[in-house]
Amino acid sequence: MSNIISPGSQTTLAQLGLPESFTPAKLRIPTRMFPAEKSGEWEPCKIREIRSKKDKAKAEGLTADGGPPSKKEDVDMLDAGETNGVGSLSNGEPKGEDDEILYEEDPNSEEGAVYPLKEGRITNWPAFLALLTYVHNTLSSPFHTPILIIAQPAWTSHDHELLTQFFFEKFKTPAFCIMDSAMAACYAYGVGTATVIDLGYEKVDITAVSDFVTHEVGRGVAISGYGGETITQTLLELLGTKGWTRDMCEQLKKSNICEVLPQGTPLPGEPQNDTQTITNPAAAASTGATESGPGAPRVTVSDVDMRDDDPITKDGEDNDGVLDVASIVASGKTAEFLARKEREKAERAAAKKAAADTATTATKPARLPNSKKVRNTFWYEERRHAQGDNDTVNENGRRGSEQNGSKLGDDPKSQKTPEPETEAGTASEAKGDATGDTAMAEETEASKRGKEKAARKEEKRRNKQQLLAENPDILRKEIEVGVERFMAANGGILEGIADGIHRTVLAVEEVGFKDALVAVLNSKYLISPSSATIFTSELPSNLSTPLATGANTPQPQLPGMSHSSNVNPLLLAATTASNPALNPAASAISHQHQQHNLHSSHGQTPTSIKLAKIPEYFPEWKDAGFEEASFLGAQVAAKVVFVVDQGISKGFMTRVEYNELGPSGIHECSL
Amino acid sequence: MSAIQSSSVPPGAQEYGGDEISALVLDPGYSSVRAGFAGEDIPKSVIPSYYGTVDTPDSSEVKYVFGDNSIHTPLPNLQIHNPISKDGTVEDWDTATKLWEYAITSRLTNFKASNPATNGLNDPAEKNVEAEIEAAGEGEKPLEDNPLLMTETGWNSGKARERSIEVAMESWGCPAFWLARNGVCTSFAAGKASALVVDVGASNISITPVHDGLILKKGVMRSPLAGNFVSQQLRILFSTSNPPIPLTPHYVVTSKTPVDAGAPAIATYRQFTTPPHDSFRRLEEERVLQEFKESVVQVWQGPGRLNSGQQGTTNEEVVKSWPGRPFEMPDGWNQVFGGERFRVSEGMWDAKMALTDAENPAPSQSQTIPALIQASLGAVDVDIRPHLLANVVITGGTSLLYGFTDRLNSELTQMFPGPRVRLSAPGNTAERRFASWIGGSILGSLGAFHQMWVSKKEYDEHGAGIVEKRCK
Repeated sequence: MSNIISPGSQTTLAQLGLPESFTPAKLRIPTRMFPAEKSGEWEPCKIREIRSKKDKAKAEGLTADGGPPSKKEDVDMLDAGETNGVGSLSNGEPKGEDDEILYEEDPNSEEGAVYPLKEGRITNWPAFLALLTYVHNTLSSPFHTPILIIAQPAWTSHDHELLTQFFFEKFKTPAFCIMDSAMAACYAYGVGTATVIDLGYEKVDITAVSDFVTHEVGRGVAISGYGGETITQTLLELLGTKGWTRDMCEQLKKSNICEVLPQGTPLPGEPQNDTQTITNPAAAASTGATESGPGAPRVTVSDVDMRDDDPITKDGEDNDGVLDVASIVASGKTAEFLARKEREKAERAAAKKAAADTATTATKPARLPNSKKVRNTFWYEERRHAQGDNDTVNENGRRGSEQNGSKLGDDPKSQKTPEPETEAGTASEAKGDATGDTAMAEETEASKRGKEKAARKEEKRRNKQQLLAENPDILRKEIEVGVERFMAANGGILEGIADGIHRTVLAVEEVGFKDALVAVLNSKYLISPSSATIFTSELPSNLSTPLATGANTPQPQLPGMSHSSNVNPLLLAATTASNPALNPAASAISHQHQQHNLHSSHGQTPTSIKLAKIPEYFPEWKDAGFEEASFLGAQVAAKVVFVVDQGISKGFMTRVEYNELGPSGIHECSL
Repeated sequence: MSAIQSSSVPPGAQEYGGDEISALVLDPGYSSVRAGFAGEDIPKSVIPSYYGTVDTPDSSEVKYVFGDNSIHTPLPNLQIHNPISKDGTVEDWDTATKLWEYAITSRLTNFKASNPATNGLNDPAEKNVEAEIEAAGEGEKPLEDNPLLMTETGWNSGKARERSIEVAMESWGCPAFWLARNGVCTSFAAGKASALVVDVGASNISITPVHDGLILKKGVMRSPLAGNFVSQQLRILFSTSNPPIPLTPHYVVTSKTPVDAGAPAIATYRQFTTPPHDSFRRLEEERVLQEFKESVVQVWQGPGRLNSGQQGTTNEEVVKSWPGRPFEMPDGWNQVFGGERFRVSEGMWDAKMALTDAENPAPSQSQTIPALIQASLGAVDVDIRPHLLANVVITGGTSLLYGFTDRLNSELTQMFPGPRVRLSAPGNTAERRFASWIGGSILGSLGAFHQMWVSKKEYDEHGAGIVEKRCK
């Protein structure tokens, strides 16, 4: 039994205990805290004040409806925020006032949110510690639970010591261990030598790891300005003049029509050469629907060099539910896919029945892949708050909530994703009785998946539904966008990251190791919890893992391959002559990068860049995708360190050691 | 209580507590700054000494960019500078201070060690850990909790030394300070108290005789025939070859197409509306040259020199018959380099063989490595020469040139046939590059060293001059 906590700039993952087969993180919460009424205290959710009798009545109804769990939940959260005595707030009845003041959690609001991590760095310690407390309490771990925390590379040794002190003294943990996120990724992939590229929200971390030792010198730590947010900003730059908002760009980015096309691929509408842009239907089916439902397979790994040639890893899976049978079968996840399709169809049918949007869907050119269309559309969901300010907040604007749903189906925010479609008061596809159906589907879904949280979930969902009823302003609009959707990565992000990788690998020392590193230069685009998640499938990737796992991996494409082998054959032969393992002929997926002429002991390298093989041992992870592979790595490490090894190799710091050495003793324990 | 201390007598051992003081070690050089905690085996923070400035058009304020992550991004009007002068000493103290502070705070930062007895574990009352931590995080000066050990070159001026302690004490608020010669640190890293340290860095080659932990100042020799000199040789080689070899840095290339060896590059280039300054291009060119030095350049390993040889053929002709090494430029241009790759490094050993052009006249023979070593040994006591020759320690990034140590060995045995010559060159590249930092790390973590520190109190009492008296 152990706790694993993985804080990210946007989403914090956590889990209690190690199941037989590792699953993606059970708890996913946005890494943000809200200042509470009392200064210095923090709340995990925005707490709103409501002043009206009507609201009070509703709230009471709600309480009666949801029963005690609701209160409990609120009290928990408030406790987490270190507020004592505010627990009564959830009852909303401050004594002796005419004007009833009701406090209500608004899980969707971002108003006044404090994000304690910026580019991985801890910028607000009080909020961060409050968040950790909240996470810890939510996990409700028994008293003697070891804790493993995944550290952002940007954390300094000073930060490590503060965290050590905090966990030992606040939670009285018997054992504590800090694991570098890059190392965790290596554990997940089961490779000891790799280049780990972790593309986050506003930063990218590039780490060279050899034999399970990270190379601190030359490590690209938190290279700012390269991340999912950069892509959104680029889109905003392109489309802002056309009246687009940031939210719209964010959703466009996450929608499956936004692609990063391989270099040299003509944009639709431009004169084309016919060699490129052939999409792989299997890839389309497996990756295109990333956000369309729970358990949708996602693709995590992509090419180290995003600048050039890649196969199109996904094409527009059309919104109107056209099924490409061949691709489903090829994807190897037929059953799941069909189940999902079924669900979608049901929802859609419900919507269609009454709605006028049939016309819209019918007019769409269904068969043309996204990359060939000059224009394409996606659904934009807009949410307004009836109460509070006119602040328009999109519930899915933050990636945490969105992933939540698609992964576990236990979070009300994302559960609700289909609901706007059915409930939208203003949109033309409004549909009254569909609400029930959808809710039902979700309920089964929920009970199926998250057992221990079912009660709470349901409560939250009802809460949410009520909120929805109160807020008829959830809009779902279909928005058309032109070729700008292919220009998301034009802002220099690819070049910047590639340059960082180049630098990091060049800085690696140790003659003997370097050859090995280069030979196994496993370059991965590990997308950690970030708004760029959806981009995993769009990062150019003409390389597959050696044994494709099917759905999670973009399939190698012959056109892509031929395009990619643009190495001078003479040079290649000369540099690989001594080591047949380096010769791409031996390995179909090897490939030399022109711009990545990294260096080895004495001779220019690399002659091949490969992606790490996706680990296949854990079916749950396979389904969920590997953006959060470092969490899997942490699970593996926790198992090894806390269960198998039992402290023989000093993988964690014990209470006794802490008492002896103080916080700085954490540096003696390494993973 | 506060009896006036003599400035030349170190304080008693009791004045400093245990071994755990989290001292910082800062080792600035021409091409990189190394920083880390004493006691660790490798500097956690290694950043380039080069920094960038971006002029903001509206105000006179200059934006500084530090660190590998930032200075290689082609920003408009980005200019690259180096606060260290060509002779390896600090030229621009204001920026150097900022740069070093960045090196320390970006990856290390300060830490207040809490006494385990008072860390609140045994307190029954709930203590507010958060508030405590918050308070600990707020330091006015960056290094208030960390003693600082800094290294300097053997020829650092007295003024510069005083400036160092001023920066540490005044700007950073260090509780204690020490200034160590990097030659001494290097010999400590090699586990020797006496050694002849051959440091081949970026801007300078220096020969430092160290005896019983002290440098012999008379014997310190230096010359500029180091890494940057080899880069310059490469530039001359590229521009004088026929046709000239294009030197295109990575950042201007968008994509390249494979071409035959020697054929002109076919690449698409990036367009800049406001290009970065020329100094940025130069820095990026240096990166390509560095890659070239690492992967192609070779030192003729001896015996003899490149232009000497047996049986009528020179060594140069011999190496020409050896298989060449290929190199591909960022724009795809590629070629196999044969004898030239030995030629560019030969200037370090034999001034006559240096490539020259109008701006770069040939160096003098006295600047070459063998001559420097000879001069250095000539300046020290004859008794300790054999001892120094038996403990030659090689450090510096440029010494990693392929064949460098072999050649040095061959030159030394040729020059000093009598005494036993033994080279000590760590095979681990990190140890070779960061030897002086590692020596500082060893020094700073020694329990016995704790009484050596110049404390804040002593500095307040005696002023910056104390560094001359104490840090010999």
